[in-house]
Order: sequence, then C-alpha cells, then structure tokens
Amino acid sequence: MMDSGTTNFILERLPELWLRTGEHILLTGLSTAFAVVGGMPLGILASRRVWLRGPVLSVVGILQTIPSLAMLAILLALLHRIGEAPAIIALILYALLPIVRNTLTGIEGVSPQASEAARGIGMSDRQRLWMVELPLALPVIVAGIRTAAVAGVGIATLSAFIGAGGLGQFINRGLALSDTRLILLGAIPAALLALLVDAVIGAAGSGLQPVPTTEQTSLRCRARPLTVSLPIILLAVGFLAYVTGSSSSVSLSGASDSRDGTIRIGSKNFTEQIILGELMAQMIEARTDIAVERKFNLGGTMICHGALVNGEIDLYAEYTGTALTAILNGVVIADPDEALDHVRQAYRDQFDMEWLEPFGFNNTYTITVRKHDADQYGWENVSDLASRSRDLRAGFTAEFAERPDGYPGLRRHYAYTFGQVKDLDPSIMYEAIANDEVDVICAFATDGRIAAYDLQPLDDDLRFFPPYQAAPVTGKDLLALHPDLRGALAPLAGLINDETMQRLNFEVDGNGRTPEEVVGEFLTAQALLE
Amino acid sequence: MNKSFDGGASYAVRHLSLEVAEGETLVLLGSSGCGKTTTLKTINRLVEPTSGYVEVDGRDVSTCDPVELRRSIGYVFQGIGLFPHLTVRQNVEIVPRLLGWDAPKRRDRADELLEIMGLPAEEYAARLPAELSGGQQQRVGVARALASDPSYLLMDEPFGALDALSRDTLQQELLMVKERLRKTIVFVTHDIFEAITLADRIAILHEGKLEQIGSKEDVQRRPASPFVHELFDKPAKQLKLFSQSR
Repeated sequence: MMDSGTTNFILERLPELWLRTGEHILLTGLSTAFAVVGGMPLGILASRRVWLRGPVLSVVGILQTIPSLAMLAILLALLHRIGEAPAIIALILYALLPIVRNTLTGIEGVSPQASEAARGIGMSDRQRLWMVELPLALPVIVAGIRTAAVAGVGIATLSAFIGAGGLGQFINRGLALSDTRLILLGAIPAALLALLVDAVIGAAGSGLQPVPTTEQTSLRCRARPLTVSLPIILLAVGFLAYVTGSSSSVSLSGASDSRDGTIRIGSKNFTEQIILGELMAQMIEARTDIAVERKFNLGGTMICHGALVNGEIDLYAEYTGTALTAILNGVVIADPDEALDHVRQAYRDQFDMEWLEPFGFNNTYTITVRKHDADQYGWENVSDLASRSRDLRAGFTAEFAERPDGYPGLRRHYAYTFGQVKDLDPSIMYEAIANDEVDVICAFATDGRIAAYDLQPLDDDLRFFPPYQAAPVTGKDLLALHPDLRGALAPLAGLINDETMQRLNFEVDGNGRTPEEVVGEFLTAQALLE
Repeated sequence: MNKSFDGGASYAVRHLSLEVAEGETLVLLGSSGCGKTTTLKTINRLVEPTSGYVEVDGRDVSTCDPVELRRSIGYVFQGIGLFPHLTVRQNVEIVPRLLGWDAPKRRDRADELLEIMGLPAEEYAARLPAELSGGQQQRVGVARALASDPSYLLMDEPFGALDALSRDTLQQELLMVKERLRKTIVFVTHDIFEAITLADRIAILHEGKLEQIGSKEDVQRRPASPFVHELFDKPAKQLKLFSQSR
C-alpha cells in the first residue's frame, strides 16, 4: 500500500503535523468560541428588537460573501500585521452568520404556547429567555455552531497564507514546491478534522437535550457528561499539541520577536524564495549563535514587505526590479547597478532598511514559449510574437498580470496584446504550457523547469524588463543588534549565477527534494558550513 | 372595562363589568371570538384594558408589578403550555422556583400535587411532557397552576383539546380539587355542558358584550336575551333528539 519513501515522508513530518493540527484546532476553536460569545447575544438582541433584525442579518450575511482571501487581505491592510490575529478575526467574521441566524430563528421558532405560558406563570423577560427560549432553541443554535465550526476548519487552511500556521501550511508549501504529498499531508488531516469537529459538536448538542425516561438507564445517557465536554476536550488537545509542538524543534510560528535574539526569516510563496530563505537561515545558524525562525510561504511581495516593515519578520530576499516597481512605485531602471543603488538609497530613506549584497543571479521575467513553437515559427525575440499575438493564450501569475513591470507595461512597450490571458499560480504555470493549455508564460529566468519542460525563453529585444537581482533585505536596527549578521551572510554575495539558481530550483521543483537538503548540500560543496 | 386591539376601530370586549366572589367558580361562556379569553387575560395583565380597570383583592392590577401578579395567580393554558424540555416535576415546581422556595420544599410540593392529580410522582415525575397522554399533560398543567397555592386560578379552555372521556374525568377531578382546596376560579369555555358541570355562576359573552351573568338555573330558566335563550335551547333540543333516537 504505502512504499517506505512515503512512510518516511510522513514519519519525518509527524512532529510538525502534530503542531500544525494543534494550531488548526486552536484557530478554529477559538474563533468559533468568540463567534458564539459575540453572535448569540447579537441574535438574541435581534429577536427582541424587531427593527434590528433586518440590519443584523444583512451585515453578517454580507460578511459571509467576502471571498476568504480578500477578507484576509483586507484584515492584513487594516491591522498592519500578519499571523494569528487577522486569521482569527476573519474566522470569527465568517462564523457569525450561521450563529446569529440560528440563534434568531431558534428563538423565533419557540412555540407561542411555551412563550405565553412563560409569561403567564410570571417569568420576567430574562427568565423567559434563559429558562424557556434558549433551552428550546438550543438544537437550532447548536446546528449553527456546528456549521460555523466545520466551515471554519476549511477556511482556516487559508490562514497559512498570512503566517498563522495550521494545516494550510503543508498545503501552501506543497503548492509552492509542486509537491502533491505535502498538499495531501495538509488536506487529508484537515478533512478528517472537519469530520471530527462535526461529530464532536453534534454529540455535545445531543448531550444537552433532555432524555426521555425510557432511555435514562441506557449507555448513551450515562455518557452524557462526557459528550457535552467533548468540544472542550478537543480544544484542550489542540492547545496541548500547540504547546508541546512549538517547544520542540519544529518551532516555526510561535510568537517571538527579534529582541529575544531570534531572527525570523520570511519568504514569498515560490521555490526560489524558499531556497534563498533557507540559504540565509543555514548560514546564520552555522556561523552565529543567533536562533532562526523560518516563516516561509507568506504569499506575495506586499505581504512579505508589509511583514518586514511591521516587524513580523526580520529578513527576506527581495528583487531589485520588484522593489522598484511594486514597492517604491518608481521608474524602471534598466542598468542593474543603478537599480540596486536606487533601491538601496530609497529603502534607507523610507523604511530605515538595508539591502545587503545581491546573490548574483538576475531572476528577471522572461516571456517564454514552447521550444517546438519557437522552432516552427522562428521566434527568437519578444517582438516576434506581435504578428500572431491575437491567437496566443497567455498564462501569467496574478502579480505579473497587474504590475506595471508586468503585462500592462509589456503591452505598451511592445505594442501588442495576447488573445487570452489567464491568471495562473506560479507552480502550475509551467505545467500549463507544457500541456498546451496556454502558449506563452511569464517564466522566471532562473526557473529549472524551463529546461525540464523543454521551453524557450525569448530575448527581451526592446529592453523592457528591469533587472531582478535578489539580495537579503533587513532592518538597520537588526544589523546593529547582531553585528555578526552581515558577516555571516557576506559569503553569499555573488555566489549564485543564473545557471546555479536554475539547478537549485530544479533540484526542488523537478527532483522533489526538500529545500533544506538542497541548500545544505550546496553550502557543503561550497565549503561554507563549518 | 373595554379592550380594543386596533386603536378603537373595533372592540374585543366592550362595556364589560362583572365581579367574582371569593371561593366561587365563575365560567366565562361564549363562542370563539366573543372576548372571553381576552377578558381572562386582563386579570393577570397578559392583556391590558384599553379603558376601565381590573381589581384583585380590591387592588387595581395596573398598579401591580405584572411579574409578581402573575406568580400569585395560577394559570392553566389553552393547549396545555407545558415546557417540553423540562420534566413533569420541573414543570410543576417552576412557579415555586421563581418565588425562590428551596429545593426540598418545592420538590415535596410538586410530588404532593402530582399525587392529588392522580399522577404518582415515582412513576411520572421524571418523565418529559411528550411521554404523557393529552389528559395526563393537562393534569400536570393544573398541578403547575396550583403549585404555589395561589388563591386564584385562571383556566383558559384547559380541557378543550381532550377527548370526551378524558374531559369528563378531569372535570370531575377539578370539582374534587375545588372542594378540597377552596380556590376562586375563573374558567373560560365554549362548552355549555362543561360550564354547567363546573360553574357556580355563568357569565355569557357575545361579540365582546356581557349578555347575562347569573347562577346556572338563572341563565337556563330566565334567559335575559334571545341569544342566551338560543344558546341553551339548541343543545337541549339536540339532547332530546339524541335520547329519542336511542
């Protein structure tokens, strides 16, 4: 059934799986608990004040319609921070609708006879609510909580995008590294957790129901105190997993900051970024006493930059071209050295941050087609596509499709547009062109898959793309705090040319090896690890 | 006393004035929509009169706290109105609980009343209302109304939903309880035979107005209006027909 490779794959990751499951339970459990604490009073209030009913239901309903990723992005912008806080707030907002709505309809569904009897025998409004209406509405309210919690398990997988941990972290990493096993390692436990949460809350709900005398001696009845506390037991297990997991060696997302001597290294969500993050991490670990925390796979440029500015991470690798256009909104500078000088100065002035020496390669975008097509139509340069551009299907990353140094600028510079443009995840772009689903992609010059999938990068003959030299970016105060940090990273300057980066990328993307392993091997071969 | 539910366009109860003597059972008799339930509910302020006043023990109820007032008056509801999530005992001891009696005292009281109503506590106290028959449920309803030993009892068509046999049994039991406990009872029904069985006096309501109030004999033998005459005449004729056909 399972070959030993897969068994080892899982065994190696068991400690992290334990931690991620704990984080996932905590994210879902805490947010559902907060939503119950906030949503039930809201539902009760709406049942008491008729004019509140419509507005309350509309607002929680609208919250529900915001796409999850958009919600996370909005909260990120509002809170100026990554991590658990925006994730939990997003989950609370999603959980409100079923809880508020079911509380309201549950109370409204209480039979008029029971309500009138409660009034008629002399219960105050409060007593009627607590002694009659809430107990009778309980099955409906529990059903709402159940819906909210199960949906929460699913939505919580997305919170890994903003560094909140959870099982989504495996899925994210799997997507970034094109590794199906990693995706499944996150997806399967998440699905099982959803079933477990559903069963646990269902059991607790029926445990709260009154029992007919005919069943009062049954086993089910004796197990009632246990079933009612099941959700709390689950939450406690999650907490235990979180505490024991994050105190072990896999500590990746526990709360910490640079003042306790830990350096938190971030990365965007594609292979090269993870390799560069790992490269810096291993160098720091080998050459200093500073502890390193890896906060990889943080999504796109703005998330990483925002996290660095807000002190959620201390260090990540950025590209000069990206900094110029996406962060500084500045001019496109074609000369690599000039671009680096400009970026360095602007970062000092605007953010009090420092660009260290570039790694050496230039990971510019290259408009890339299938070698077969290039040979057939005689394409060598980007401008050669002009005559057939209306018939071509382009597959671009979402960032490329929007950025001024991406497709919008390219279109103006080369004065043609493609017939069709699809947004594709970086990790599936190469497969899409190899499978003839698109004809043109915005490949990265250092991507190992260019060779592996038999693709042909076209020459940027009109000099549109700015240089994309990668370099470590960090806060000046961090360099002051850790004087040996600059020295530890210095050997990386100019160490990696385009071909080397392509090869490292392909070891991970093409050969399915882990970034840790590939980086360790590379640094050992360069005799940089002591 | 008047009551309008639509700001005076029409009246559910109009120019109604009556008095209930201590210890008597007054039956409010009339067809549906005649205002008898509305009248009953003004007594414990479930309905507030549009004009006029209601006094209990010589005190205007509009000056009483409605919650206190209702706890001091037993109420048996149309359609029973037991709390489905509470056991029979919990239902019966609910008013003593609201009044803050301690647990052993209210438990003893509940069990005693269940006994009186023919539902031995050891067999029935732990059951849920749904496990009882309709007649048994209404006995619990009566026991609940009596739990805090109120002087007054309001009964709103309590036996209306029961089959004829259960209804008859419960009526007999109510008569016995009444003898034993000496309560002042206002009883609403549309059933003439029930009215005659239970009443000391009968008040006949029609379209929100009091047609006649008097003893059983008075209203039957000396009807004050054609409506009252008609009301008692029809069943008498039917009864005659019924006995002839046997």
